[in-house]
Amino acid sequence: MSTPAPHDPAAAHGPITAPGQLAETPALEGNAAAGHATVHGDESHGGLGLYLAVFAALCFLTTMSFFTYSSYWPWRDEPQVGWAFMMAVSCTKALLVVLFFMHVLWEANWKYVLTIPAAMMAIFLAVMLIPDIGLRNRMVSQERALHMARPADVLLLEQAASAAEEGADHVGNHDH
Amino acid sequence: MNASAASVGHDAHGHHGPVLQYQPGLPLSRGKLIMWLFLSTEIMFFAALLGSYVVLRFGAAVWPKPHHVHLSEPIGAFNTFVLICSSVTVVLALEAARANKRSLAKTWMLATLLLGSFFLGIKAYEYAAKFSHGIYPAAPRGLIYERPDLYYGSAVRARLGEPAIIEQMKELNARPESELTPDEVTGRRRLQQVREMAMGADQQAFDMAVIADQVMPLPDDAAGGHGHGGGLNETFPWLQLPIVIPGGNMWASTYFLLTGFHAIHVIVGLIVFGILLLYDLGPKHAGMIENAGLYWHFVDLVWIFLFPLLYLF
Repeated sequence: MSTPAPHDPAAAHGPITAPGQLAETPALEGNAAAGHATVHGDESHGGLGLYLAVFAALCFLTTMSFFTYSSYWPWRDEPQVGWAFMMAVSCTKALLVVLFFMHVLWEANWKYVLTIPAAMMAIFLAVMLIPDIGLRNRMVSQERALHMARPADVLLLEQAASAAEEGADHVGNHDH
Repeated sequence: MNASAASVGHDAHGHHGPVLQYQPGLPLSRGKLIMWLFLSTEIMFFAALLGSYVVLRFGAAVWPKPHHVHLSEPIGAFNTFVLICSSVTVVLALEAARANKRSLAKTWMLATLLLGSFFLGIKAYEYAAKFSHGIYPAAPRGLIYERPDLYYGSAVRARLGEPAIIEQMKELNARPESELTPDEVTGRRRLQQVREMAMGADQQAFDMAVIADQVMPLPDDAAGGHGHGGGLNETFPWLQLPIVIPGGNMWASTYFLLTGFHAIHVIVGLIVFGILLLYDLGPKHAGMIENAGLYWHFVDLVWIFLFPLLYLF
């Protein structure tokens, strides 16, 4: 990037702009040179090897999220452990993408201003939905109770399935 | 971004007036800053959708299992892999552009575009699988009923009473057994029995569950697959009887909304990459590639959270 040479050599403050001239473009060009110098410096932070390592880690983590399905998973009776594990895997993958692919690891402190409030808002929003939406089935109206699905319905369907398997030839062959 | 102190004096051309010296407020280009601000709004957007999904799903009395709604976890995992690959290729395109390797940058950009399109193709295949089973986001195309009750029974009866279906069934019953596959032979008999149960005057609650199970069974586990066939709706695609999936309507709503919005964002990203391919991908446009890459990584990020929440939970 070209740095506009200041006409006044005594001006050590930086690029000087004339009135009426768009200040930002030459200033940005000048600082872009510094910025790009930083960027080129940051480029040495990246590099093909690092990106491929992150890619391998992401692939590994994706397969790990299936670990809860395997026979080696010890907490089959507690699905919450599985969910926590899957969320931890997702957060790790997200962190890898954000830090390395989005280059945030090497960015300046503005990244905290951007990410921390956004993360707080996201979690806060989900939590605030719990009373009205998450707990909506604690108190239901009669109309809703008439039509909503229940675990008993799943059981009924399972019974119908096993009945169909037993009486494979005739469907619905039962005493009224 | 901010103007620093203005000094009164003569500028380079000897004019009077304040000389303003601009320094950037933040050590990043405007384009990158704006892209990050836009991504914050996108974080809000997807946090709202994902947060509502989490709350709806865990507050539901019943939620369908993935194989009940014909959701395939391996396909979702493969899609995740495709998107991760496309993130890698866009980063490599950026590196190539910065190193002034223009044709290499273009190659990586094209690879990103192709991988993104591949993702959309797999998504379209998944959607088609849902639609073919009568799982749509809403009525009237959606055939999902929550409970095997008499309301469901009357919907089945209504469908069986339609002239087109009566015609089809007549034609099906008229065909000799030699013309039909074994599945169709059994299916034909079962359809007849289901019809008798649905149209009959005397109906028990259990009959409704039996009908539902015949129309589209909910297998016990994914490996079990379709124990006694895929059901009548699968054997006879024209039949399209109402089906029972407890919790299925809420599932369909949230699934199609989340993946639909994500797919729209993928399409927008692909359009951006398509336009970028028309540019000369050297260091001059590395900033544009970087910003487009940031957006694309964010799309990948959303999918990284969508995949376990939708497929594995």
